Amino acid sequence: MNRAETPFAARISGWVLTIGGAVGFLAAFTLIVEKISLIKNPAYVPTCSINPLLSCGSVMQTSQAEAFGFPNPLIGVAAFPVVITIGVLVLAGVRLPRWVWLGLQTGTVFGLVFVHWLIYQSLYRIGALCPYCMVVWIVMITIFWYTLLRNLHFGVIPLRNHKTLLSYHGLILTAWLLIIAALIGIEFWDYWQTLL
Amino acid sequence: MPPKKRQKSRNRPPAKAAAVAKPPARSVRLSPNMKFTAGLIGLVLVIVGIIWWSNRDEPAAAAEQLVRANSHKLSAAADGKVTLVEFLDFECPSCAAAYPSVERIRTEYAGRITYVVRLFPLTGHKNAIPAASAAQAAANQGKFEAMYKKLFESQGSWGGKETDQAATFEQYATELGLDMTRYKTDVAAQATSSFITAEVTDAKTVKVTGTPTFFLNGKKLTTTPTYDNLKKAIDEALAS
Repeated sequence: MNRAETPFAARISGWVLTIGGAVGFLAAFTLIVEKISLIKNPAYVPTCSINPLLSCGSVMQTSQAEAFGFPNPLIGVAAFPVVITIGVLVLAGVRLPRWVWLGLQTGTVFGLVFVHWLIYQSLYRIGALCPYCMVVWIVMITIFWYTLLRNLHFGVIPLRNHKTLLSYHGLILTAWLLIIAALIGIEFWDYWQTLL
Repeated sequence: MPPKKRQKSRNRPPAKAAAVAKPPARSVRLSPNMKFTAGLIGLVLVIVGIIWWSNRDEPAAAAEQLVRANSHKLSAAADGKVTLVEFLDFECPSCAAAYPSVERIRTEYAGRITYVVRLFPLTGHKNAIPAASAAQAAANQGKFEAMYKKLFESQGSWGGKETDQAATFEQYATELGLDMTRYKTDVAAQATSSFITAEVTDAKTVKVTGTPTFFLNGKKLTTTPTYDNLKKAIDEALAS
């Protein structure tokens, strides 16, 4: 009965949190491992440094990579497991109190803002793309989005006309990610051209 | 077999009618969300495809627009057989990345290839035109190559900045021992900006859209300008 009433966008929040959290955790964990290798051996070339543009070695050594004075992926290593845990609880059918959802929403808003700041820095200041970081960008936006939709549907966040958002969840998310992809395409146009 | 079939249809006629009427229609039907999402992805793919397609052909550029009489020739081949032209922007990071490879090529192929630098300051870079002007002002005192080297080697300290770096370039000019009165006049001179405009016009005429863009004997190089790729292309041109 619950299945029929709950829209798809709100129903999949458990899966999004679990899978998204796991993917985000793996990316953040890999970045930390690469960072440690880089500290141990400054000449180390990280596995994701493919060419001057797709490179996490150069990105990792910027000041933006330690926005709060410590490597950014530490936040992911600590926070994504929380997302996984909440996702698993949702899948297990546990009803979580409103404040947990508000807390998760607050966390994802922080992550969302941080990730967009990093996108801006990566594109327009550093001028390089770090593949694992981009995985985190996608995952973070997706987690935020479906947490928001879930909270809108269950009234955790009161907003009157939220039905449209829920019914066009995939379109909005796709458009969001495509805008970022387009910005990347435009900014590094010179480079993409050399691949043609 | 036939009896079984008949039996089935006889037993559950209403179910069959319902099955025919509803489930197929439902399984084919996509939600508006899916339709619009698929449509959006399709649209983007079409746009990307068109852009890719329209950039595929790279006609051989007219020789006169690639190397002008007043173009900066940094190396000259004795036989003039192989000419490498680079359209560059001093503030572009990938140009700075290509710079060491180009220098290595120039050293190894000294006397065998002609290397020409064309200026193509990109609008997205705040100090690209000031840097090009600095190089041009240095050229007036015979120091283009020295300024070209200095700008790339120190790009990390001035590139990507929002603020005007003219003072940094003046510092470089001083270090190169330029006549500073003349340098300052030349940087601001109408002739300098006209030269750069002409360079950019040529770049656009030969369909250069980004930097660095290399032309080897009039043909645009499509590979990443690494040492190996440049060497391979030059070796082929020398052998032909």
